[in-house]
Amino acid sequence: MKIGERTSIYAALLGMLLSSGTAHAEGTLNLLTWEGYADPSYVTQFEKETGCKVNATYVGSNDDFAPKLMAGGGVYDLITPSLDTTKLMIDLDLVEPIDTAKIAEWNNIYPNLRALENIRKGDDVYGMPYTWGAIIMMYRTDAFKTPPTSISDLWNPELKGKISIWDDKSSIYLAARKNGDMNIYNLSDEQIAAARKALEEQKPLVRKYWTTAGELVDLYKSGEIVLSNTWAGNMASILKREGIPMTEFIPKEGAEGWVDIWMMVKGTPNTDCAYKYLNMQLSAVGQCAISQINTNSVANPVAAKTCMTPERFAELHQDDPTYLDKLMVWQSLGDRYEAYANAWNAVKAQ
Amino acid sequence: MRHFYRNIPAVLVLGIPFVWVVLFMLIPYGVIATYSFWEKKYPVFIPAFQWGNYQMLLADPQYIKVLLRTAKISILVSIASFLIAYPFAYYLVYRCRSARVRTWLYMAVVAPLWISYLLRAYVWKTILGTEGVLNSFLIWTGLVDTPSPIFLYNQFSMVVTLTYIFIPFMVMPIYTALEKIPKNLIEASADLGLGPWRTLMKVTLPMSLPGVVAGFTLTFCLSFGDFVAPFLVGGPDGNLIANVITTQFGSALNWPLGSALSIVMLIVVLTIISLSDRFERRGTAGGH
Repeated sequence: MKIGERTSIYAALLGMLLSSGTAHAEGTLNLLTWEGYADPSYVTQFEKETGCKVNATYVGSNDDFAPKLMAGGGVYDLITPSLDTTKLMIDLDLVEPIDTAKIAEWNNIYPNLRALENIRKGDDVYGMPYTWGAIIMMYRTDAFKTPPTSISDLWNPELKGKISIWDDKSSIYLAARKNGDMNIYNLSDEQIAAARKALEEQKPLVRKYWTTAGELVDLYKSGEIVLSNTWAGNMASILKREGIPMTEFIPKEGAEGWVDIWMMVKGTPNTDCAYKYLNMQLSAVGQCAISQINTNSVANPVAAKTCMTPERFAELHQDDPTYLDKLMVWQSLGDRYEAYANAWNAVKAQ
Repeated sequence: MRHFYRNIPAVLVLGIPFVWVVLFMLIPYGVIATYSFWEKKYPVFIPAFQWGNYQMLLADPQYIKVLLRTAKISILVSIASFLIAYPFAYYLVYRCRSARVRTWLYMAVVAPLWISYLLRAYVWKTILGTEGVLNSFLIWTGLVDTPSPIFLYNQFSMVVTLTYIFIPFMVMPIYTALEKIPKNLIEASADLGLGPWRTLMKVTLPMSLPGVVAGFTLTFCLSFGDFVAPFLVGGPDGNLIANVITTQFGSALNWPLGSALSIVMLIVVLTIISLSDRFERRGTAGGH
């Protein structure tokens, strides 16, 4: 009884602490997003034209969104989780529905992206698809005589100390495919355990688990590693610009796909600025910039056509909306999330 | 009313520490302790009173393993700091004739504390890397032909980095302890026929022990809670307890388990502090 009382007092205190943290600033958009999604190349102009100031905080993983929003109260206005995290955001009641009528080019978005189940709840739409791409592998071209072709190459003992994989629960997807389990978003406990075992076996070969795009680039640049997984287009193009010969490839076990979604944080007072930002991001300005900066494919092919050469358009698979369906697009794990996250944490704890 | 004004100083003197303790210790620790009994349930967690989180810490070997690893790293850091700090402080107090040089050397140890912690940890990445300063030097001297990857992204690099970062906390208490030893005791020891080595072992070291214990306590506890060094220079086998806590509060979205871990960590640190406190008190009591 006493304990119950005390718990409820603490819970009330906690509630006070959590809810008192609202620090939205009007006219200033605070974004919690990926590197490149608030690039000065277009943000400066946006600020000048609209009078809305933009602040960006960057995440290293989709797992950062929920903790940051839950702990920080209402600091952020817009976020860009990937498709596997959008449902969690909706279930956690952290985001509010978007009025698609206020987004001018909404109907130009690929129909299969607009129809995505994980951005909807009931009749409401909670997210605006923005960019998409694949999670593939890459290697230093000058380090291999026979190019790697498979996820299994990340388990090649000859590459001991020269590989890296993403510090993310998606490592489980990677290891499961190596084990031949292709239902990566629906793994049984045994399959997850097998993936965990494979990752533990791989551990002595790993130089470092990479956490951000910048860190992976550094690992290649400083000669630490020669093979890793990567966000298609993104890091390889940075490295090539720095003169490091890189080759990207889709492993024969297939690649995962991701779609990044703009969502509006619940209770933002900046809806005006937020819609302006969303509109800019979906227009040719935003779509062209992001396809150049991060080499991502984009959600609005009409906008993409205005700045891409036909070759580039094809290279980014913008001409083939079914390409995305061929990738194993990230899905919400629901209440299985913990089993995946736990397995990955157990690997790291080893 | 006049009564009240007269009491203002007393209220301030007692009130500030009281508010401090409540605001910065009791409430946060209370919140953490409460969370540690809650239950993880999709999408987040729900209030409850159950020991499941603590049972999980005991049942799943990964947590014990990380705790032991953290303890091992912290002990290694403390020992390494001691081995470097003691001779250094000894030199400053007993051998360094020039007060100016002494001040400069002391500042050289303390000054890095004013530089961003992150920057100091980052520096070691550039020193220890495969194409880093150390490897370039070794190749230049001809000691090795090809750069070696063994210096970075492992437990060695974590111990080096943490030692560098926390060594001021070993030097300072030892220096103070050595300075407090009356010089005539050392002279007396020499007069009684003990050589410098035996004087060190029989007189100086025992009398500076409280400083050594304080140094060990500080470096151990600081290393025990560190999560930046594993993040920057640690390798795949470098996960420490603070990283696991970060993960539980972050990606795993399991604040209850993270809280339980924090409480365990708090107990470890408090135990060490109270043990060292008891030891120091016994030391001073026995010494006089």
